[in-house]
Amino acid sequence: MTENIIEVKNLTKIYEQGNVLAVDDINISIKKGEIFALLGPNGAGKTTTISILATLLSSTNGKAYVNNYDVSKDPGKVRKSIGIVFQEPSSDGDMTGWENLELHAVLYGMPKKERQDKIREVLKLVDLEDKADIFVKNYSGGMKRRLEIARGLIHEPKVLFLDEPTLGLDPQTRRKIWEKIKELNQSDSKMTILITTHYMEEADELADRICIMDHGKIIAMDTSENLKNQLSGDVIDIKFENLDEPFKISIVIRQVKEIPGVKNVTIGSSEDQQDIMPNIQLPKGMPNVDPAMIQARIRETMSDPKKLIEAWKRMPMSIGMFLNAPLVMKKKIANMFDNKLLEEVPDNIKQELIKIKKGEYEEEEELDPSISISCENGGKQLPLIIQKISDNKLNIKTVHMHQPTLEDVFLHYVGTAIREESSNFSKDVKKMIQMRQLRK
Amino acid sequence: MSDLSNVKTKVNYNVVWILAKRELMSFWRNKSRVISSIAQGLLFLFVFGAGFSQIAIVIDGIAVSSRAFSGSGIAAMVILFTGIFGGMSIFRDKMFGFMKELMVAPVSRSTLMLGRTVGVALQTMLQVVIMIALGVAFGYFGYDLSLIWRVMLIVPVAFLASLGIVGIGLTISTRLSDMQSFGLIQTFIVMPMMWLSGALIPLPPQITMFNPFTYSVDLFRFVLLGVSYFPFWLDLLITVGFGTALILIGAQSFNKMEISQ
Repeated sequence: MTENIIEVKNLTKIYEQGNVLAVDDINISIKKGEIFALLGPNGAGKTTTISILATLLSSTNGKAYVNNYDVSKDPGKVRKSIGIVFQEPSSDGDMTGWENLELHAVLYGMPKKERQDKIREVLKLVDLEDKADIFVKNYSGGMKRRLEIARGLIHEPKVLFLDEPTLGLDPQTRRKIWEKIKELNQSDSKMTILITTHYMEEADELADRICIMDHGKIIAMDTSENLKNQLSGDVIDIKFENLDEPFKISIVIRQVKEIPGVKNVTIGSSEDQQDIMPNIQLPKGMPNVDPAMIQARIRETMSDPKKLIEAWKRMPMSIGMFLNAPLVMKKKIANMFDNKLLEEVPDNIKQELIKIKKGEYEEEEELDPSISISCENGGKQLPLIIQKISDNKLNIKTVHMHQPTLEDVFLHYVGTAIREESSNFSKDVKKMIQMRQLRK
Repeated sequence: MSDLSNVKTKVNYNVVWILAKRELMSFWRNKSRVISSIAQGLLFLFVFGAGFSQIAIVIDGIAVSSRAFSGSGIAAMVILFTGIFGGMSIFRDKMFGFMKELMVAPVSRSTLMLGRTVGVALQTMLQVVIMIALGVAFGYFGYDLSLIWRVMLIVPVAFLASLGIVGIGLTISTRLSDMQSFGLIQTFIVMPMMWLSGALIPLPPQITMFNPFTYSVDLFRFVLLGVSYFPFWLDLLITVGFGTALILIGAQSFNKMEISQ
């Protein structure tokens, strides 16, 4: 075959239960020694793709080769070629770090003599030598992650899969793990690393190539530089005053698109999600936390009703956050809860959610509408854009111009709506699946 | 659809051993489990031993001391509790993510299954031995020289009898997706199997004969007391058959288990 260590051809996965089309006909080739990042919102199909490559799931259609072995025909050999660090912790808390690693070495058929040395070696690599005899349940989140990275390396895999390796870790630990990942890739063995993440800066920092997935499809795949260059020029975010005639925005968008040099205009912006952030008053005395981290955590929580319920139950602060959130936000959240899930929600929030569901609140409290424009030369086009807007008698609240970040690229491709993984999407998928079956 | 379970069908005995060791270690490290199982056994021994001391128990025309009856039944009952809930360790591993680590390893599912079954069965056997040691210490089985080989013989019997029960635990836990079902299993599987087996109270064979666990209890009585409701070969046959069947069913559902995310 080829020099590509991972080769994915027309890979498709449909979860029969729930009729979810998780991965839709994707093609990926990854070269030996590459760090490759899969980027995408929740439910984009990243983890499913990795699970298929790691032989944990079978594919519905298509082929995948890892280290030149077919994942469906030669799973044993594929498994020996890969190391994997899962999204959620997967070590046995009732065993010590050392015992976890030893069990792994036995599972991968390492002879007794080699085991000791190798375990010592990987423990040193992740700086856990002095913690080897502590039960894993007493480890911190970062230590667990590092232990699992060490575990994935014991059998000297050709490819390392890292599924959200730094999810929920503090900034210092994240940096440390990034360093380790780079070290591994640059060492003699030139390990190929496939990483999924939804932290932009993580992909930007680590990956040679980035693949953006959404709804099971690949929507962009290139180096971080090239992706950003596609959005070369500037990004202008414009926020409007509350408007009486929302349709005017679409007129403005059409007119702005006609200005020479303007490449793309998207409605809404990432602030859609960030707007609730200023309402959060972090309690004093809290350690210095990266606000981007908190935002990412909140975004993650808001996409999953179960996580929300848990947050409400554990952190009184999050209840206040919800009650103060803008109505649009609340509606999105209310839509995620069906009657069954509502039962588990704390009372004060439940009442609010029911009110929203009944539509008792009118649209008076709409979010400030905004648009995001990517253009070749912001300095030149901005005056024209503002003119178009004032022609339409819209009031501008703020204007913000900046260089495109990977986040802009991501939002450009993926859009800004918060994902409701089950409701509407699965209906579409059902239709698609039915159509496919008809075609057969 | 490809069958991912057939990594290779060969059983890797190093892995079986380390997995079995893991089960035993977790039992030993969870001191609360050891203590609660002993305390529960003691409670049952005293309550049932004392409660039935007035009642004459006759098995197959032979009068049996009520304490010996309860002691042997309770020892067998330990298998039921430890076996089913031990088999559920798969569920614990699913919850805490450790199952994924096992599932991506280049070993066959039969190896994983065997490792766990043997581990839990050994752990169950250990508990039965503790129980019988308590019974002997409190004089439930009298003091007779033959007791030595009877107790020795009960060790392999306990292992054999626990296989089927562990199989039930494994089968359930591979299909279980939430904690709430534990109560259901307690109510609809463990309790009926316990009460309808005649382990604690003498019941006519017409009632107990439909419960496969009855035969394990009966085998225990045959070995420990020398008397039994059913012929011992029938006990042995059904115990082995039940064990084999449940292990196969458990292996089947274990093979089918797919872990996502």
